[in-house]
Formats: sequence, structure tokens, C-alpha cells
Amino acid sequence: MLKFILKRLGSAVGVLFAASLLLYILVINSGDPLGDLRESNAENREYLMQQRIDYMNLEQPWYLRYLTWLGGVGKCFVGSCDLGQNINGVEVSGLLANAASSTLRLVLLATVIAAVLGIAIGVLTAVRQYSGLDYLVTFLTFLFFSLPVFWAAVLLKEYMAIGYNDWLENPQISIGTSILIGVIVGLLLQMLLAGSLKRRGLTFLITAIFVPLLLQYSLWLNFYRYPQMGPAIIVVLTLLLALSATAMSVGLKEKKVLYPALITVVLVLVMYYATFWILKDANAWILVIGAILSVAIPGLIGKFMGGRLSKLASGVAALVGLIGAGLTVLDHIFRAWPGFLDLKGRPIGTIGSSTANLGGGFWDNFLDNATQLLLPTIVLAIISLASYSRYTRSSMLEVQQQDYIRTARSKGLSERTVIFRHAFRNALIPIATIAAFDFAGLIGGAVVTETVFGWKGMGDMFSTGLHAVDPAPVMAFFLVTGTAAILFNLLADIVYALLDPRIRV
Amino acid sequence: MRFQRVSKAVVVGAAMALALSACAPGGSDSSSEASKSTESNGGAEVTNSGLADLGDVTTKDDTIKVTVGAPEFISYNGFTPQTYSTYNSAITDRMFAGFYYMGTDGTIYPNKELGSYEKVSDDPLTIKYTINENAKWSDGTPITVADSVFAWATQNLNLNSGDKDKPLFNSVSTDLGDTVPKGPEGAADGKEFTVTFKDPDPDWQLQTWMLHPAHVVAKKGGLSTDELVQAIRDGDSKKLEKAAKFWNEGWMTKPGTLPDEADVPVSGPYKLESWKAGESVTLTANENYYGTAPATKNLNFRFLADTGMVQALQNKDVDVIAPQPTVDTLAQLEGLGKAVSIQQGDTLTWEHLDFNFAEGNEMNNLELRKAFAMCVPRQEIVDNLVKPLNPEATVMNAREVFPFQDNYQEVVDASYDGRYDQVDIDGAKKILEEQDAVGTEIRIGYSAPNERRTNEVAAIKSSCDKAGFKVKDAGDAKFFAPGGTQERGDYEVALFAWAGSGQITSGQNIYSTGKPQNYGKYSNEAVDEAWTKLATSLDPAVHAEQTKVIEKLLWDDLYGIPLFAHPGLSASGSDIQNVRHTATQSGIVWNAEQWLRAE
Repeated sequence: MLKFILKRLGSAVGVLFAASLLLYILVINSGDPLGDLRESNAENREYLMQQRIDYMNLEQPWYLRYLTWLGGVGKCFVGSCDLGQNINGVEVSGLLANAASSTLRLVLLATVIAAVLGIAIGVLTAVRQYSGLDYLVTFLTFLFFSLPVFWAAVLLKEYMAIGYNDWLENPQISIGTSILIGVIVGLLLQMLLAGSLKRRGLTFLITAIFVPLLLQYSLWLNFYRYPQMGPAIIVVLTLLLALSATAMSVGLKEKKVLYPALITVVLVLVMYYATFWILKDANAWILVIGAILSVAIPGLIGKFMGGRLSKLASGVAALVGLIGAGLTVLDHIFRAWPGFLDLKGRPIGTIGSSTANLGGGFWDNFLDNATQLLLPTIVLAIISLASYSRYTRSSMLEVQQQDYIRTARSKGLSERTVIFRHAFRNALIPIATIAAFDFAGLIGGAVVTETVFGWKGMGDMFSTGLHAVDPAPVMAFFLVTGTAAILFNLLADIVYALLDPRIRV
Repeated sequence: MRFQRVSKAVVVGAAMALALSACAPGGSDSSSEASKSTESNGGAEVTNSGLADLGDVTTKDDTIKVTVGAPEFISYNGFTPQTYSTYNSAITDRMFAGFYYMGTDGTIYPNKELGSYEKVSDDPLTIKYTINENAKWSDGTPITVADSVFAWATQNLNLNSGDKDKPLFNSVSTDLGDTVPKGPEGAADGKEFTVTFKDPDPDWQLQTWMLHPAHVVAKKGGLSTDELVQAIRDGDSKKLEKAAKFWNEGWMTKPGTLPDEADVPVSGPYKLESWKAGESVTLTANENYYGTAPATKNLNFRFLADTGMVQALQNKDVDVIAPQPTVDTLAQLEGLGKAVSIQQGDTLTWEHLDFNFAEGNEMNNLELRKAFAMCVPRQEIVDNLVKPLNPEATVMNAREVFPFQDNYQEVVDASYDGRYDQVDIDGAKKILEEQDAVGTEIRIGYSAPNERRTNEVAAIKSSCDKAGFKVKDAGDAKFFAPGGTQERGDYEVALFAWAGSGQITSGQNIYSTGKPQNYGKYSNEAVDEAWTKLATSLDPAVHAEQTKVIEKLLWDDLYGIPLFAHPGLSASGSDIQNVRHTATQSGIVWNAEQWLRAE
């Protein structure tokens, strides 16, 4: 395995090297770096041109310019990278750091959401092949897949940002609209939950009645400007989760699993009060540590009380703990929302990653980042979600026709075990390649999304550099994306081996 | 079934949760009142093209967000060839006071807040500048003659390391060392100085005599301010090396980090507050400002591409935008109705068709030039391509003055009789037949891609082909590049624009024989002579007279055909007062210190 990895890495370096040479030559020949000055009518035009020629070494032959750049990059091996300066005299390493962090923030969440949701949808539609749900999802995914990013972004801004912000000034939902929403949600839900005709009808009826009431009730509460949850709801919801998780895994009669779950519910309530003031003015570290503890402690409880079912018990307890902690955080977000609205009257932004000089505390800034990130994340996720779900669906369908699946079924394994343990794992193998490439590609930046939402990420650095015929930023872009592509390719190969024992060497 | 029980439990539980939370509707029931915008939002009254008089101003604790384009802020020192750009200047111009500013039509106004100036002698041209007694940098250091001497030093090629190609100060402006050999004369710590020009310079008002803080540069260069001034006056390049190095590079920082506050004092109404890389720069009011206080405390400059501007304005993510003027953008803005105010008007950039006078080119024949001028549908071009953006646009009939300037009509009346106002296909046809030049190919070159110019050429083609020309669209991405169409001379007519700078003499470089911007190699002794007269005189009457002479000669000789002034477009939330269109290159932010959000 090590030899294999080393060999791959070796050839990767060769490819990078050759590609960088090619790209460098292409970039410096892609236009006229003095173009803007040629059309200028400044009196000292000739002098300004000479300055730029000297500054960018335009008079040197291409190989010398390339070697100069390569020399600077070579210094990375001794720990002092020199990626050169751009046409404005700004250090490219600084630009790169900002662009990369901006792109990662933009892309990371979207990719994870797209992959998780896409795969889940793909599995669901494969299992329910040719059902109404399958047709609906197929229609929607093709629709999303063919959406031009630019257009989708503009529409989202129009309705989800501007429209929502206008609505939020004075939230109103008419009775008619509430009923309509109820009917639509009901139709969707019966499709999703499926079952016999009677059950579908019941699901639809309950939802179609419940949702409009809920909407009107939330309006009466002024929930959209003053959302509230409180410990009571947290406890009820975690309790429900504890009960249903136990019921779904082993049945409520199994005290070895039920008790740790119930103890966790009590713990959640205790911790809600204990951490109230800490969370009121939290920071990122507290949240991370809290999340870890909320999984670890219930997990341990489950492990010790679970006996022969310790693995299952700790799993259920950890899930309850995590969701309980999540709800507690949500409660604090709800509490912060009215104050946040005072600082930022129109919460959903259309541009940028944060509001300048917002002020406020941790939760205000947290909410600000979240609301700014919302639209670009949706755009990016919705579009790559489509391809994930399609790939997963076809991969799942293919696997389900294999002999070993029939064998597994005829052995009498439960459907859940067949799908998740036998079919899904094998269906994931081709998805791993797609995910790896997808992510490597996304690091290159989503040029259009970045432009439309006013983010200065990798894509922007590349296009700005290319427009100015300025090789340094373009090459820095190439270094990062090229390396990422190769590394993720390698990673995909390794993940293959992990997922598929047949190709383990 | 187990599952059914659970789903029932969920429904019951959810209902219970709702009931439990049934405390009361949250918070106060303050219904937000939609701000009612009226036609006039209560801004200050405008009396001329200069800054309006706001009276006594108390700075309002508020932030106005503006975007002029996507490029990132570069540096506090926007005066080097690398950092100089309209986007950087939009920010830095708010931080530095100069002795003059330009009004909305390019008129030069003295900036009385920094000081005053007067011409004391015509021969040699000598100007006396006085800095206001209370003028000081934001760190409290008084603004003195030392700062002016330093501004002169940065524009002085005689301070160099070896020869003039390697100046100490890497600056965009380079001529003051030769045109004003002695620089500002006066006590370094005083408030008064005089400058003496070697040759008469009609554009003397536009010279920069106040730039960056000398005391900061001196300190960084290991000198006292007096030593710095002395070294500059002595031409002691060696001693200035360290200071110059600081001026060239010292203010360049990593994107997102501002230089140390002590290193960036300002002389203008705003100073740097924060910089979020890739997002925005915030300026805040300079509390030590000696002039009229800015109306709003914070100005936030967003870096945003055109595509996102209109919706950002609609969502109030920004308050003022300056997009590229396109019909689509304007339509979107108009769709927002009363929520925004749209500023439209001409700019100081003007489009024109220039003939190629290179030897052997068909366009050397005046009759053919006349025939071409007769068939170019100028009014149609303006009506179809410019009026949608600026309803008041007109065909431009001059080169040195713009339709929105006061003396335009006077100049046009004296130089042009309206002979090319109407398209005259028959006249053009007749000339072509007389000259036996039917079927002459006219290659119209321009820097492509440029949609508007492609449309202009199409309009010209459809008209001039009728007269017997064969018009060819020779638009090319490399039109101006070395070895490109323009340099090779493979064109009959060039279509491009000049950006006016407000200078009186800048046209000399375009129309005089052998000058660098005389791309078409035009030569006319009478024009050369008129330019020399204009450029060596300081008398406005002579300038006015010679401008008429030059315009008439250029019309009679058909140097080229002026078409129109480029339209400008910007928009602001209707609650922002005092946002005013300007034709100059400073752009919409020119009077940003007066912007104020209406209550």
C-alpha cells in the first residue's frame, strides 16, 4: 500500500510540474498586460508602461519568468514560500490565504450537505423505485441540475432574501395561504411516509389540519420575530426521541437501553439550567467542547448500563444527548434572535460573508454568519445535490439486483439490514470517487456563485488574475487546486480500499 | 405495529409541546413603520456644480454602505503605478485633503477647508499657497509646508538612484521636478509657500501639493521632518533612500490588515477604521478634522461586482451603488420604484471615430472623410444606444468641451455649422462617384468585445453602405496591443473613447504632430500652432479663443467625428440624502462626506 501511495505521489508531482509550466505559458500569453495603459491618456503613459514592464519582468523571456516563479515556490520546501506579488504589488501568499479560507467556508458546508442529503435521497428513491416520490424527486433533481447558477442565485435573492426580509418586517400569513401550505405539506408527507391508502389518507388529513393551525398559532405568538422554545419543549422533544429511538432499535421493554436514554433526558434538562449563563455568552470552543461532551457522557452511561446491549445503548443515549444539546443551542439562538434583528433589521443578506461592524455578542455574530452563508450554501448544495442523488440511485439499483442481495434476503435478514449493510455499502464505492472529485473541484472555487454573492474566493482570484494577465495569482490558484485534485484522487483510491475489501492489497 | 405507536406518540407529544409553550406572544408588538419616501428626501439645496452648503454639521452616528466595484482595496498610498486605480482612489480620496476639488461638471473649485491659493505672477508663473492655521493631521501634527515639499518630492524624477528611469519615489505623477525645479519655497514648519513654474502651465491648479504626511515618512526614514525637507531640497537622494522605500512599500499590507494607526494619519474628513479582506473597508470620521465635519460617522466600501449590486441595494445591504451603466441595470433599478433614487447623466469620457492619416491610407483624402462623415448616423446612434441610459444625451459636436459644460454652445457655434447633423446619403454618394471611390472599404477598428461599439459599427454600416462605402467591422481584442491592428495601421477608422481629466492642455498630446496619443498620425501646422499658443498662455480668454480655433480646424479638416459623451449611472436608497451624479472620474463618492440618512 505504501509503495502504491508513493508511486502515485511521485507521478502526481510530475503532472503538477508539467501542468504548471503549460499554464504559466498560457497565462502570460493570454492577453496584453499593458492593455489598460495603452488606452489611457495619462501624460506619462510611456513611463507608466515602463514601470509595469520592469515591475512584472515583462521583458524577460518566458522561461526566465517561469523559473523565477518556480524558484519562489521552491522555497516552500525550506519553509518560506514566495508566491510573488500581483499586479498591484500585493503579496500573493496573503491573497491566497484569504481566498482559500473564504472559499472553504463557502464550499465546505454546501458540499457536506449536498453529499449527505443527496445520498439519502438517492437511497430513498432507489428503494421506492417508480413510486410517486421517485418521480417527483427525479423531476426536481433534473430541474435543479439544469438550473443556471446565476439565475438560481438571483431568484433566491429575490424571494428568500428580499422577499423574506420584507415579510419579516410584519409577518403575516393569511388563512387561505395557511390552508394551502397545509395541503401541500400534507401531500408531500403522505408521499414520503407512504404505506397503505388508509394510512396515507390519515397522514394527509392530520397534516393538512395541523399545519395551518400551527402556522396561525406561531403568528399569534409572533414566533418569527420572537421565537421561543424553553426547557419544557426541549424535554418533551428529547423524551420523544429517547422513546422512539429505543422503540425502533430494541423495543421499549428493553430496560438496558431505555434507562440510559431516559437518564440522558434528565441530564439534558439539568445541563440546560447549568449551562444557561455559559451559553448565554458562548464562544466557538465552548460549543465544540459541549458537543463532544454531549456525545461522550451519555455514550459512557449507555456503555456501563447497557450490559450485553452496551453498544446499542450507548448509541441511543449519545444520539439523545446530541439532539438535546442541539435543541439547547437552538433555544439560545431563539433567545438571541430579537436582539439580532435590532442590530440587523434585514437578516438574510445577499452579499458577502458577514456584516461589517455589526457589534453584538457571540450569538449575534453567529447568526450574522449563518444568515449571510444561507443563500450561497443553498445554491451550491441544491445543484450538486442533484448529481449525488442520481448517482446514488442508479448505483443502489444496480447493487440491489446482485445475487448476494437476493441471498441476503432469502436468509431472512430484515430489509433494513439488507439495504444498509449489504447494498448501501457497496453502492457507496463509485460515489466515493465522485465526492472526491467534486470536493477537489469545489476548492477551485465556484466562480459564478462567488461573483453573484460578492465573495472574494479562489475563483475570483483566478479570474481577476487572468483578466489582468497577471501570472502570480493564477499560478497560486493552480498550485492549490492542482494539489487538491491530486490529493483527493489519491484519497478516493484509499477510500476504495476501505470500502471494498476485494481491492485491499 | 410498533412504528404506528411511535408516530402517534410523536403527534401527541408535539401538541403537548405547543401547549406547554403557550405562554404569550413574544415581545413588544411594535409594528415597524415602513419608511415613507417622498420625492425629495430633504437633502441640501444645490446651487452650483460644487459641494452644497450643509451649514453646521453634526456627525450622525450611522454607517452608509457604498460599492463602486469588485476590486479590493490595495493601499493607503494609492499614488504608485501599482496601486493607482479608481477603486482605490474612491477610498483614499476621502482621507486626503487637496487644495482643489472638481465639481460635477469638471469645474475646479478651491478647497477652502485646507487653505487657499492665488496666482502672484504670470511670468514666471508663481502661485502662493496658504495652509489654514488650524489644519492638522489626524494625529494632531500640524499640516505644514514640509508636507507640500514632500508631495513635490514624490513627483520629482530628479531624486533618483542613478538615472531618471529609476526614481526614488515610485509614483504615478512624475513631472513636478522639472516643471517646478525649486519646489515649494517657504519655512518647512510654516503655513505659507510659493511655487514657481519653469514654463507657463495652464493646468497649474491641478497640480498636487498635498499628499501624504511628511512626518510619518521622515520618522520611518530615520530622519526628522526638517532633515527630510532639507534632503529633498538638497536633492540628496542617498539620504532619502530609506524614506522613499517606506513610501513605496511601507503602507502595503496583507489584505485585511491595516497598517499601524500611527502610520496612517489623514488630512481629510475620514480615516481608516477596519478592513475585512475580500469584503469591505470601513472609514470612520476623523475626530481631529479641522473643516466641516462629515455628515455620517462611518462609510463602508463594499467590494462587489455589478451582478450583485441592484439586489444588494434593494435588500439594503448597500445604500449607494455605481454599476456599469447598461440598459438592463437601469431597467432593474427603475423596477424598484420609489425605494431608490437613480442618478443619471453624462461623464467626461467621450466616444469618437478617428481617421487613419498614415501614408497610403484612403482616409488621407479629405473628400472621402467628408463623405464618410455625411453618412455616419450620429443622431440614430445616440437615440438608440445612449438615450435609453441618459434621456438627456445629445450628439457631441466638440472635442475639448462637453455638452453639459457652460461654454459648449459657444464653442460649437464658432466652430461647426451643423453640416453633418443630418445623414446625407445622396451627398456622400455624389462625392464617392466624383472621387471614383465607390466601394472603398472602411475598416472600423475598436477594442473588442464591446457590445455598444459593435452596435455602433452596425448602424454605420447600414447607413454608409447605401452611400457606396463597404464598411467592415474590424473589432479585435488586440486592437491596441503591440503588433495589433492599430499599430499596424490596418484600419481606416478607429472607434474609441478618451477620458477627460479636466486638464486644458491634454488635447495637445492627441492632435499635435508627432505626439504619443496622435494614433492616426494627423498633422496640421495650424493646429500645432494653436495648441502651442494655448499651452503657453495663462489667460483664460486665450484658452477660450484657441479652443474655438482648434475645434474649427479639426472640423474643417475632419480629424475625426465626435459621437457622444458616455452615460453614467448610479443609484442610492431613497433615504440617503445628498447623493449627486458627477461627470468626473471621482465617481459617485465625490461628495461622500455629505451623505446622510434621512430620519
